[in-house]
Amino acid sequence: MKRSTWIAGIIVLVFLLLWQGMVWLFKLPPYLLPAPSLVVLTLVTNASMYASATLVTLGEALAGLLLGLLASVLIASLLSLRPALEEGVMTLAILVKSTPLVAIAPLLTLWFGFGILPKILITSLVTFFPLLVNLLTGLQRVDRALIDLFKSWNASRWEIYSNLRLPSSLPFLFAGLKISAPLALIGAVVGEWTGASNGLGRIMWLAYSNLNLPYLFAPILILSLAGMLVFRFLIWIEKKCIFWQAISMDE
Amino acid sequence: MRLVVRDLSHIFPGKPPRPALRNLAFEVESGQFVAIIGPSGCGKSTLLRVAAGLLLPDQGCVELDGLTPAQVVAQRRLAWMGQSPALLPWLTVRGNMLLAQRFRPSGGNSRVEVEEALQQVGLSEASQAFPFMLSGGMQQRLALGRVLTQDAALWLMDEPFAALDELTREKLAADLLSLWQPRRPTVLWVTHAIHEALRIADRILVISSCPGALVADLPVVLPRPRQEGTPEYQNLLSRLRAALGSGKP
Repeated sequence: MKRSTWIAGIIVLVFLLLWQGMVWLFKLPPYLLPAPSLVVLTLVTNASMYASATLVTLGEALAGLLLGLLASVLIASLLSLRPALEEGVMTLAILVKSTPLVAIAPLLTLWFGFGILPKILITSLVTFFPLLVNLLTGLQRVDRALIDLFKSWNASRWEIYSNLRLPSSLPFLFAGLKISAPLALIGAVVGEWTGASNGLGRIMWLAYSNLNLPYLFAPILILSLAGMLVFRFLIWIEKKCIFWQAISMDE
Repeated sequence: MRLVVRDLSHIFPGKPPRPALRNLAFEVESGQFVAIIGPSGCGKSTLLRVAAGLLLPDQGCVELDGLTPAQVVAQRRLAWMGQSPALLPWLTVRGNMLLAQRFRPSGGNSRVEVEEALQQVGLSEASQAFPFMLSGGMQQRLALGRVLTQDAALWLMDEPFAALDELTREKLAADLLSLWQPRRPTVLWVTHAIHEALRIADRILVISSCPGALVADLPVVLPRPRQEGTPEYQNLLSRLRAALGSGKP
């Protein structure tokens, strides 16, 4: 393992030990702040319940992220091919972005029921904007020398888009994904919080209503672990896809 | 390809507006290798961009065999090479060469042409490498190889070797000459390097700074390879230096 991985592990461990120590030292009751050991115990004793809920929530998060990604790729591509539309579409996107999530979530539940569809829609709404902004920047910020070269080849706008702009935007796509993927988990949980029949958000809401904090903290632990793993996975994929940058960065 | 520059003027808008070219006019016969030299920011690049159809001038025009630059670009008869090698980092050396071929109207024997061009610029061994693995000189040689496969009648080169160290630059300038000689396209080559211009070009145009106007038009009628020591060379050098000095504001 790399030295940085060790250091990261130690930092997390120290944080958990401090937390555990605080709970012991001040004799905090579990309904105010449960010790990490109690959270892990809760997680282990209810493993199958949490496992199925995690699958539901991760599934919603992934579906929502993919939908948000698809929408952002389509719209960013359209805007880079037809720059005249940019101002109008971006105004609309910012309008959607600045509507508070907590206001939309109950509405979507009202319209689409307690199933997974409203959760997927909320998740795609949260993930869409960071992806759109990053992708659009990537598609627009292309080395001018390369644009000149393609123009000297009499390349059409579409040919410049597909051969130059799209591959150039890959690093920006990953920058957007690194913001949007953790947001997708939040989106799915918020969606479940406002009314769901299953999922981690549903468990958290029930636990919160009963002030059963160990049950509330267990999903937080799962979500932070999932967020971390997704982030690591994205970094790994990024290095494979953008090999020309990864190698020059290592040097 | 015969190139005619007619009364070319261009001002970049802004505060204050930057005049780049003023009433520039000259003609270049087909097959001539012309070096364009002058202080930085004097509109040399602007002239080249107009000739490549990348910029529409405020006044005047560039005619290429009687056609507009845009028409010549549409026929794929000009090749462009800029200061940066402009390579696609996700494509191999060969991939970068083949990409240029994809935009040619008649595919032709592109694979063979690419292998030949790679050999001529000395990159056959490195054809599977990615651009970030190459030195700056090799990257520009790849860009030069890409120009070769264009089969163009006009090469527009905007300080292609300016970012390289002096030794590599001299070597590449010599390579450029030997690659040009059998093909004889018309070349407009913007450069800062006085000696390279004198060693390679058929003719040197000196352009003044801000806005660029023609200061001197020096034909270089010396047999190649040219020796720096000869009196003719020294005579041209001092005339060139004088013209460059008078062009300063």
